Amino acid sequence: MQRRGFLKLGIGAAVVVGVAGAGVALIKPGWVDGKLSPGARDVMRAAAVGVLAELLPAAGPAREAALEAQLARLDATVAAFPAATRKELSDALGLLSTAAGRYALVGLGTAWPEATAAELQAAFNAMRLSGSQTRQQVYHALRDLSCIAFFTEPGNWPLAGYPGPRDI
Amino acid sequence: MSSLPDPILEGLQRGWKVHGGPHAALPATLDCDVAIVGSGAGAGITAEMLARAGLKIVIVEEGPLRSSSQFRQREAEAYPQLYQEAAGRKTLDQSMNILQGRCVGGSTTVNWTGSFRTPPDALAYWGDKFGLTDFNEAAMAPWFEQAERRLNIGDWLTEPNENNDVLRRGAVALGIPTKVVRRNVKGCWNLGSCGMGCPTNAKQSMLVSTLPAALDLGATLLVQTRAARLELQGSQVAALVAEPVALDGTVTGAPVRITARHYVVAGGAINSPALLMRSQAPDPHSLLGKRTFLHPTAGGAALFDHDVAGWAGAPLSVFCDHFLHRGPIDGPVGYKLEVAPVHPAFALTNGGGLGADLVERARDMPRTQLMIALLRDGFHPESAGGAVQLRSDGTPVVDYRLTDYLLDGVRRAYLTMAEIQFAAGAKAVRPVHEQGAAYASLAEAKQGIAGLTMKPFLTMVGSAHVMGGCTMAADAGRGVVRPDGQHWQLANLSVHDGSVFPTSLGANPQLTVYGLANRFSSGLIQRLGGRPLPLA
Repeated sequence: MQRRGFLKLGIGAAVVVGVAGAGVALIKPGWVDGKLSPGARDVMRAAAVGVLAELLPAAGPAREAALEAQLARLDATVAAFPAATRKELSDALGLLSTAAGRYALVGLGTAWPEATAAELQAAFNAMRLSGSQTRQQVYHALRDLSCIAFFTEPGNWPLAGYPGPRDI
Repeated sequence: MSSLPDPILEGLQRGWKVHGGPHAALPATLDCDVAIVGSGAGAGITAEMLARAGLKIVIVEEGPLRSSSQFRQREAEAYPQLYQEAAGRKTLDQSMNILQGRCVGGSTTVNWTGSFRTPPDALAYWGDKFGLTDFNEAAMAPWFEQAERRLNIGDWLTEPNENNDVLRRGAVALGIPTKVVRRNVKGCWNLGSCGMGCPTNAKQSMLVSTLPAALDLGATLLVQTRAARLELQGSQVAALVAEPVALDGTVTGAPVRITARHYVVAGGAINSPALLMRSQAPDPHSLLGKRTFLHPTAGGAALFDHDVAGWAGAPLSVFCDHFLHRGPIDGPVGYKLEVAPVHPAFALTNGGGLGADLVERARDMPRTQLMIALLRDGFHPESAGGAVQLRSDGTPVVDYRLTDYLLDGVRRAYLTMAEIQFAAGAKAVRPVHEQGAAYASLAEAKQGIAGLTMKPFLTMVGSAHVMGGCTMAADAGRGVVRPDGQHWQLANLSVHDGSVFPTSLGANPQLTVYGLANRFSSGLIQRLGGRPLPLA
C-alpha cells in the first residue's frame, strides 16, 4: 500500500501527496543554511527556463551565467522573507525536488534538469489554469519568484524597455 | 544616492533618541506617558499631537529607519526593506498579494500620495450600522482640514503622466467624470518612485513630517522592534513587551518592557488586531480581527502605439468615482478607478504570463497602460471582510475570501476599464486574468470578458489598502473600540489606525486615518489631563 505524506503547504492547504515508499520525513528541505538547497536550485533553475524563456540569453556560457545570477538573486529574495514564509517555501521546494512531488504537483514527468522549456511551459500553463488551490499556490511560488528576481535586476531592465530611475 | 539634504540623518546627528537595529541598543525597560505601537499614518499624527501636549512618548516600530539618502528608487531594495513580509504578504489562501508598509512612516513612506477625505456615503453607513452618528461629513471636516494643512495636501496641478491621462481622456470621451487626485507633497519632482520611498522628501509622509516633530520634542523611537504582546491586568494594560527583530523578522535579542499610562495601538490593520490577539485581549463579542477589508483590486492592461512610460511621473494623479455611485452602497459592489505605476518587477510579476507571453509583455511594457479598479468591500452581506488569524509563531495572516459578489464586480470592472482604454486610443486591452487575452476591439473584449471564469487565482486580485479588524462602534456589541478610539474593555488602550474602520472606504485610506487619529488624539490628551493643540 502506498504511504501518504502530508505536507502543510501554505497555511490551511493540506497537501496530500502520494509519495511512494517515502514519507515526508525523508524529504529534504529546500532552504538550507541560508540558501536554496541543490535540489531547490534545480527546481528554480527550471522555473527560470520555463517562465523567462527568451528573456534569457541563448544556450551557451551567457545563459549559464544568467541562470547562476538568477539563482543568487533568488537566495537573496527568499532570505528577506519572514521565517514562516521561508519554511513554507522550503517545504514546497523540498517536495518539488522529489520525483513524486514533481509529478503530483507539477505534472512533469521529466526530471527538472532535463526538462525542455516547452515541457516546463506546458506544465506551468496547466498549473496556471488549474482549479486546484495547491497547484495554483505552487505555480505562483515558482513563477512570481522567478519574475521578481529577474526584473529587479538593473541588467535586465532593458529587456522591459525600462531606462531605470531618474538621477537626482 | 541622493545628494539632497536628509532630514532624518540630520535629526540623528542632533541627538534624536532612537534605539534598535543599528542605532543605540534597546534598554531593558522604558517608562513613559504613552506608548505608541507603529509609526504610520495613525501613529505619526498621534505622536506629534501627544508630544506637543508635553506628554512623554515611546514609539515602537517593527521596520527599519530608512530615509531619502537611502531611497534609490529600486524595487530590489524597497520591497524587502520597506514592506511587510518583503512585499510578499498574502491572504491565507495565497490568492491575493497585500502591499503594506513596514518601516518608519509605515505605509505613508511608500504610498502613492493619494489623499481623499472619507466618502460621505461610507460615513453615513457607519452612522446607520455602527451608531457612529457623530462621524458625518461636517463633524469630520475640521479634523481633515488640519491634517490637510499639516501635510500640504492639495490638488496636483501638474499635467498627469500618460498612464493617468489615459484614464482621464478615455473617461471624458465616454462622458464619465474624473477628478484630479489631491496629494500630500511639497515640491514634488514628479519622479514616479513614491512606492520605493521618496528620495527628495517631497512626499509629506509621517517619516518627514510628524515623526521628526515628535522626535525634536524628545520622543523616543524604537526601530526594528516588534510589539510582541501587552501584559494585561484586569481591564488595564500593565506593560508592552517588544522584541528586537532583524529585517526578516527574526528575534535578535532580549525584549524591552515598556510601562505607560496609556497605550496606543497603531500598527495598521492585520497587525493591530494581531497584537491584541497575541495578548489575549478581551473579545466578548468575537469581533477582534473580523471585518478586515482589502479594497480588492483588479487590473486592466492596455497597449498603445506610443510610449506610455508608466514608471515616470506622479503615479496616481487622476481618479474616477463614477462606478461607486451607480447604485445603492449596499447593492452590487462599486469600484474606484485609478492607475498603477509600471515598474518592471511590480508590473511584470503582477501582470501574469510566462514564456512567450511574458517575453511579449516585457517588450511591450513601455507602451503599456495599467488601470486598476478598487472594489469597495464591506457594505454587503456577501462582503463581510476577512478574519485575522495567528500562525504558530504568532505572526498574523488574514483569511479573506473572494466571494462571487466581489468577483462579479471584478468582471464589470474589466469591461469598464476596457471601454475607457479603447476610448483613449488603446490598440489592444487585456484584463489581468489568467484566461484574459489581448483583445483588439471592444466587441472582442466584451465577448472575452463575458467568458472568463471568475474564480480566485484565475482572477488576479491584489490589495494595497488594509482596513478594519478593530471595528469602531457606538456600543460594545458591535465594536472593538469606542467612537473615541478607546478599547471597549481595556481602559488604558486605544487604537488609532485604519483597523478601526467599520468598512472599507472606496478611497485610498491615508487621509481618513489622519483625520481619525487627529480627533482621537485630541480626546486622548484631554482624558490624560492635558490640553490639546490643533494639529495645524
